[in-house]
Amino acid sequence: MRPQSPHALVVTGDGIQGEGETAHAFRLAKFDVDIRHLNDLIQEKLGMDELCRKYSAVAFPGGFSFGDDLGAGRILGLKLTYQLGWDLATYASRGGLVLGIGNGFQALIRMGIFGKDLSITHNATGKWSDTWTKVTPSGNRCVWLRGLGTMDLPIRHAEGRIVIGASRRAETLAKLDRLGMACLKYEENSIGSDEKRAGLCDSTGRILGLMPRPESYIRGTAHPEWTAQRGRAGAPGVGLTFFENAYHEAM
Amino acid sequence: MFARIEIAVRPDLVDSTAQNLMRRIELTDPHLRRQIRWARYLEIYWLDLPVGREELIPALSEIAWDRVLQWVFTGNLMPAAAGKTGGLQDLMEVAPYRPGRFCGVERRYRPGVTDTKGRSFLDALEIVLGKKLDQGRASSGGLFVMEGPGLDEDVLARIARDILCNETLETWTLVPEDGLKKNERFHQERVKYDLPKWQPRGLQVVETFDLSKMSDSDLENLSRKKTFALSLEEMKAIQAYFNDPKVQEKRSLIGMKNATDVELEVIAQTWSEHCKHKIFNAVVTFEGQTIDSLFKTYVVGTTQNIKKPWLLSVFKDNGGICAFDDDDAFCVKVETHNSASALEPFGGSLTGMLAVNRDILGCGLGAKPVFNTNVMCIAPLDYRETLPDRILHPRRILDGVRRGVQQAGNQSGIPTINGALIFDERYLGKPLVYCGSGGIMPRISAGEPCEVKKILPGDRIFMVGGRVGKDGIHGATFSSLALSDHSPTSAVQLGDTMIQKRMADFLLEARDLGLYRAITDNGAGGLSSSVGEMALLSGGAQVDVSQAKAKYTGLKPFEIIVSESQERMTVIVPPIQVAGFQSLAERRGVEVSDLGEFNSSGSFDIFNTSVQVASLSLNFLHEGVPRLKLSAQWTPPAAAPSPILVSTNSEQVLESFKKLGQPVLLGLLSRPNIASKEWIIRQYDHEAQGTSVVKPLHITASGTTRAWSGPNDASVIKPKVTSDLGLAVGCGIQPKLSDIDPFLMAQAAVDEAVRNVLCVGAEYGTPDSVLALVDNFCWSDPIHDVEKMGALVRACQGLQNAALALGTPLISGKDSMKNEYQGMRRGQSISISVPPTLLITAVARVTDIKQARTADFKSVGDFIYLIGNNEFGLQGSELQSLVRETAQIHPVSAELHLGRPNWNLATQIYSWLGGAQGKQQFRLKSLHDLSEGGLMVAVAESLISRGLGASLWISGGRDPWELSFGEGFHSFVGSVAPDDAPSIEAEWDELGIPFQRIGNVENHDRLEVFVRGSAPATSSNGFGDLAFTATITQLRAAWSREGYWE
Repeated sequence: MRPQSPHALVVTGDGIQGEGETAHAFRLAKFDVDIRHLNDLIQEKLGMDELCRKYSAVAFPGGFSFGDDLGAGRILGLKLTYQLGWDLATYASRGGLVLGIGNGFQALIRMGIFGKDLSITHNATGKWSDTWTKVTPSGNRCVWLRGLGTMDLPIRHAEGRIVIGASRRAETLAKLDRLGMACLKYEENSIGSDEKRAGLCDSTGRILGLMPRPESYIRGTAHPEWTAQRGRAGAPGVGLTFFENAYHEAM
Repeated sequence: MFARIEIAVRPDLVDSTAQNLMRRIELTDPHLRRQIRWARYLEIYWLDLPVGREELIPALSEIAWDRVLQWVFTGNLMPAAAGKTGGLQDLMEVAPYRPGRFCGVERRYRPGVTDTKGRSFLDALEIVLGKKLDQGRASSGGLFVMEGPGLDEDVLARIARDILCNETLETWTLVPEDGLKKNERFHQERVKYDLPKWQPRGLQVVETFDLSKMSDSDLENLSRKKTFALSLEEMKAIQAYFNDPKVQEKRSLIGMKNATDVELEVIAQTWSEHCKHKIFNAVVTFEGQTIDSLFKTYVVGTTQNIKKPWLLSVFKDNGGICAFDDDDAFCVKVETHNSASALEPFGGSLTGMLAVNRDILGCGLGAKPVFNTNVMCIAPLDYRETLPDRILHPRRILDGVRRGVQQAGNQSGIPTINGALIFDERYLGKPLVYCGSGGIMPRISAGEPCEVKKILPGDRIFMVGGRVGKDGIHGATFSSLALSDHSPTSAVQLGDTMIQKRMADFLLEARDLGLYRAITDNGAGGLSSSVGEMALLSGGAQVDVSQAKAKYTGLKPFEIIVSESQERMTVIVPPIQVAGFQSLAERRGVEVSDLGEFNSSGSFDIFNTSVQVASLSLNFLHEGVPRLKLSAQWTPPAAAPSPILVSTNSEQVLESFKKLGQPVLLGLLSRPNIASKEWIIRQYDHEAQGTSVVKPLHITASGTTRAWSGPNDASVIKPKVTSDLGLAVGCGIQPKLSDIDPFLMAQAAVDEAVRNVLCVGAEYGTPDSVLALVDNFCWSDPIHDVEKMGALVRACQGLQNAALALGTPLISGKDSMKNEYQGMRRGQSISISVPPTLLITAVARVTDIKQARTADFKSVGDFIYLIGNNEFGLQGSELQSLVRETAQIHPVSAELHLGRPNWNLATQIYSWLGGAQGKQQFRLKSLHDLSEGGLMVAVAESLISRGLGASLWISGGRDPWELSFGEGFHSFVGSVAPDDAPSIEAEWDELGIPFQRIGNVENHDRLEVFVRGSAPATSSNGFGDLAFTATITQLRAAWSREGYWE
């Protein structure tokens, strides 16, 4: 008998945009997916126990939750912490997988998942930027990035520049390296992110937050140069591997 | 307790908000910018909370203080929140000039204005404190702190008025240096004083007018005084209605006598040019003929003639609706927001984009917006003359419009995938801002076909989304007037993207659950238009305006009914679904107001609680407007002397080409109409929803230092995850040809739009091929100008001619007829009319996205072809404009033709490209259409991103200028692998498609152009004589035109 598919929860509502494509990526990777509105989760009081029991993975997609009021991802983070009582570090330690993309990553940072000594702010250019970039995984801590080398992914944001607090900079950098948390770097750092960081994971490697958009590159025809390699038009995009990695981890 | 929180970016980090403000100051007036040596921007919150200090401090530090990024100043509330003193002095101490002269401008909202940031602050506190703060208040604002010796009160006031604040919504105060240093502004009493307080003014009165005794001049005065924008004839029709004994008898039965302001406002909105399109529906005499409505004759008539099986709904709804496949339909709408964008470019374009998205949400049973488009026509950015009064510099307009379009699309998650930027000095009179959007919806929703709007008597009328306020009153009538130096800015508003996003998500969910029967947007004319029009479906409506959720108390009934406050839709809910609809709305954080019901009474009845304030016959409201009768005449303009010299001496022509070919090519590439728009495209999220297949730009070597982008002709998205069908979106716009003949201008716009979508892989040529057009006319007022009206008739005829010839139906459109400025410049009166401008938006299906194409040459050795028409002309070309504006360049050409269409040829070529004939199309490795700048510019644009070289040969016997830079119809540049060339050429021969092999993609870094004599080639490579060379570096530098844009 075929084992039951793992379940993924994709959170939406209040300005989140990327729930459709994120859910689609999970489905392609053979997850059963629920897209749930934040308010419904709060009304149903879907707490930690149920989250752990029901879902192998939870994703916070990109978008503009709460209009970026009080800082990108701030209110979303507060709602998850205070109104749902979610402690994502515990969820990860109990086997859960977490993916925060774009605005979802910003929320994870505001929630302190990657420590209190780093934050995220406006790109050095001061501009919103929609382009494609090369990123390279570093270390092997992050389960979402297994088997991936340097890859092309789109970025679409105005606030993706990771900043490490000046007062404890050396300690913070050392800690990120030691725990394998600095898991994804830009090759070309057009947005001026500190130490070229494009994404971070927690010390278990099960929580990944990143500004590039893996869910937007799950088919070959999404790549800006695909018409130069017609043979690969039908191939999946490298972003799908993130979700397939999660599937293998969850099974 | 009261508190004031100031949040600053830490001094060691870049303050992006301050940087962006400085840039906008520079754009407004470089003199102002020079006065500022240093600046920081602080976010401010004023709080009044039923919470003690002990409870508040930890909550504030949790929600409002990012220690890595920010300093927070709170007076003495949170003492350790920043540097040494915990106050603004700490920030001022790091300014590079000391002791420096500092001052600040503080902005805050006017009482009653929706303050979403303040609301969010309160929400965040409630979340953290775990309790409702019903009595709590939070208001947001900002403090812009500057340093510079020249910052006097005048400079600061201009910064406050022109850049920092939208004075309709905000007020400002100057804060002198010692005010910044002291902590008085944090005192309890002061905060209490600073918090905005709404005091309702006036009573909810209804004014009445006894029209029966009014003279003609009384009627005209009334129309002017109240911004009704109605003509005397229309006012007299209204007078006659109220004087009609039958009407009077009916009114007396319900206790009404004289016309109320509510009634007159409803009529004025409904009859406005903006809503009623009186010019397009006029009876026109032209060249001895009587045309019964341009709209019916040339637009509706065209589509009726073409009859495609996939047309589901045209000209009836908020947008045209077409079948996409068996399960889904798509719809498209393009609007303009010119008047609003002229006065307040950011607010104007933001509300324009959000409004067109609501058109899509309200189209049929409601569609999900899947793309946005934005086309802008403005004066050149280097405009240096004195500006007429109230006219903003084109740079400011572009900056504001760009920010508005960016915010609307990016924050809503709708990709902005197509657009154009057109420059002409006459757009100084009014910038044209076209806002387009398209959506996808299931063909059957909850058992009902998506394209049918149906309402039954008894259905409830809900206002959904934002609250109603004083903002945007008279938008529809205002845009029906020419821009003048006393146009009201109160007609312009700001949009709230987040309210709309929540509403959009909620409505799509409600649609799928079958919770409503019909839907439409609340756009121009507000409730008066949306309910008034929907009432036709059931035969009557009754609403109570007091039930509309308002931003504040004290609104007059007429204000509620005509207000164009944003982010509102009108949704018709069957009684049985009301509870479910309201409960879902509550769970999604969306406000809804139950205003009344539809009935079959034959009239539109409006109440304020139990008092009736309007009763208008639906028939009169919708059919009572007198038809305009207009005369039109068109005199072909005398041909302006061409700046391009013509000679029969072929040697002289060739010499001039060899000498000037390169500077002309580079000059053309750097013309704003042609040059790269990458700086704007990349600030728009053009890949939201993860549907992108062909992007506005192709990139090579993305993510590396060698990355470079080139243009694509149109975009393709894949709107359904379950299907490889694509949707291609492109546009055509050729206003410069209006100076020659508006008929040709319209033909060219249609052809260009169709060419653009064909380039990226649109289907064409079979009855099932889906390719639809949307027309948007922007004219200056033709009512009193027979020539302008004649130009309009010519353009309509040209549009019809092209659409019929290509068999491409028009599915939706809009016209904007008051695009001119009448006012003063340097004390002299001046009027500026925009050139007659028609935008054609093409939306087409792509049968298989894996066959989509981009414009870049891809491999060394590939053959380069000119495919399709090869008869172009230099008349009306970009080259002609270049020569006219550049003193040093004087080409000598052999011919001076005007490019004209050949529709038989066009359908042959397009049917092949569109897959209806032949089967070798997929062998094209690139395809790019010839438009501004002609063949040579098209080749250069195909080379630019990859940086490959090319050799190109111009065959002898042709005028090299015309062949290289001429413009016209139905032509493309494509590339093909050498192995595929024989089979593709054979197919072209077989199908009678003209082609010419004109070059090779080369393994070097330059474009080499050869001229081939009629005799066999003389040079060693067989290409002919080398005429000129341009390196890729030169092409790129010219095309990117660094320094011009921002």
